[in-house]
Amino acid sequence: MASSAGAHGGGDNANANTTGTTGGGVQQTEEPTIEDLQRDIEHLKRKIAEERAKLCDKTTAQVSDALEPIQGLNIKVRRSLKGHNAKVLCLDWCSDKRHLVSSSQDGKLIVWDAFTTNKEHAVTMPTTWVMACAYGPSGNVVACGGLDNKVTVYPLTLDEDVATKKKTVGTHTSYMSCCLFPGSDNQVLTGSGDATCALWDVESGQVLQSFHGHSADVMSVDLAPGPNPNTFVSGSCDKMAFVWDMRTGNYVQYFEGHESDINAVKFHPSGDAIGTGSDDASCRLFDLRADREVAKYTKESILFGVNAIDFSTSGRILFAGYNDYAVNMWDTLKTHRIAMLYGHENRVSSLKCSPDGTAIATGSWDYSLKIWA
Amino acid sequence: MESTPSVVQQQRMEVDQLRREATMKRIPVSQAVEDIKRYAMDHMMQDHLIVGFASEKANPFREKTWSCEVL
Repeated sequence: MASSAGAHGGGDNANANTTGTTGGGVQQTEEPTIEDLQRDIEHLKRKIAEERAKLCDKTTAQVSDALEPIQGLNIKVRRSLKGHNAKVLCLDWCSDKRHLVSSSQDGKLIVWDAFTTNKEHAVTMPTTWVMACAYGPSGNVVACGGLDNKVTVYPLTLDEDVATKKKTVGTHTSYMSCCLFPGSDNQVLTGSGDATCALWDVESGQVLQSFHGHSADVMSVDLAPGPNPNTFVSGSCDKMAFVWDMRTGNYVQYFEGHESDINAVKFHPSGDAIGTGSDDASCRLFDLRADREVAKYTKESILFGVNAIDFSTSGRILFAGYNDYAVNMWDTLKTHRIAMLYGHENRVSSLKCSPDGTAIATGSWDYSLKIWA
Repeated sequence: MESTPSVVQQQRMEVDQLRREATMKRIPVSQAVEDIKRYAMDHMMQDHLIVGFASEKANPFREKTWSCEVL
């Protein structure tokens, strides 16, 4: 207790309060026990919850009451991408707004031309359940992994089989559930069933930073847009979302409220908030500066879990893919459902808006991907 | 993965972290949502999934009429 308070500069209210709970006398040299620390943690969490509760002066729907409702939407299936022979588990857009990479339960990775629906590369991984795949910012490299616990990077070249150039970059102690390139082809950020996230150097395969804090499987990560390139968010089966500082390895904020696993996290395009999707059949919006939930997207008729979410470029629409095969479109501000996209014949496992916001791609357990615009 | 911190280390880190969080400055929900609303208003006209395209030809995913491009 005393040592950690000293290291932190001491003197603020939180310190004064928590010191009070340990009872005064034993604080010079005694190392705090796990029980002491646990008590401090619970006390601080209660205090934070109280502070957050004070901020709820209005609901998001009240603030947005005078807004014009969204009308005249004309989103439909424009392309169907067929070629996987098993459940599609993940997809990502290339920065050229034209190509897509997808990964599947049968171990296949496919690179698509979404304009023509042609397959440009197909790679068979030595594993099943390739749960994650991501394009590098240059568009010349993809990363993937899954039940093999590894993140593997493939440079995309047209002259030879991409599988010959593969590079195993990192290994977790459990499955890899999600990955992304944070701003450069030289680094990969991964999330894993081992409850950690890790930042890897692609060239050397070294861990640059590891992120401990979740108490269960990490299911999803997303990078902050714009001026905070060192911030990312993770969502976990511990029902929490953490906001991390990539440079220090520490988390800066946590968000709670979901009643079951968080399967998807995504930064709002403003960078001020994060969206989440959960097995509790809800999506939520958490604001970083209010440090709390500001909206919840649910309906009594929606009973199934959410696997994937993304925002339209203005942040007004939240797209969410569900286990009941539907994609629901939520008005993030009026907090109601504005439309449903039907087309898949099984769970929607993955979903992403194209980089310029002209289309959304969905992947499903029905073995197909669809482009909606 | 590399060595994992011990339980006590992890808990200490968490206590330090929660102390920092406990003292952070927070804004009310109304103000946070006003900012999110303003962002949506400022970017709505470029949000093609909401406003569509000035002409269907501008949509890169319009239905395929590629026949002449094969030349």
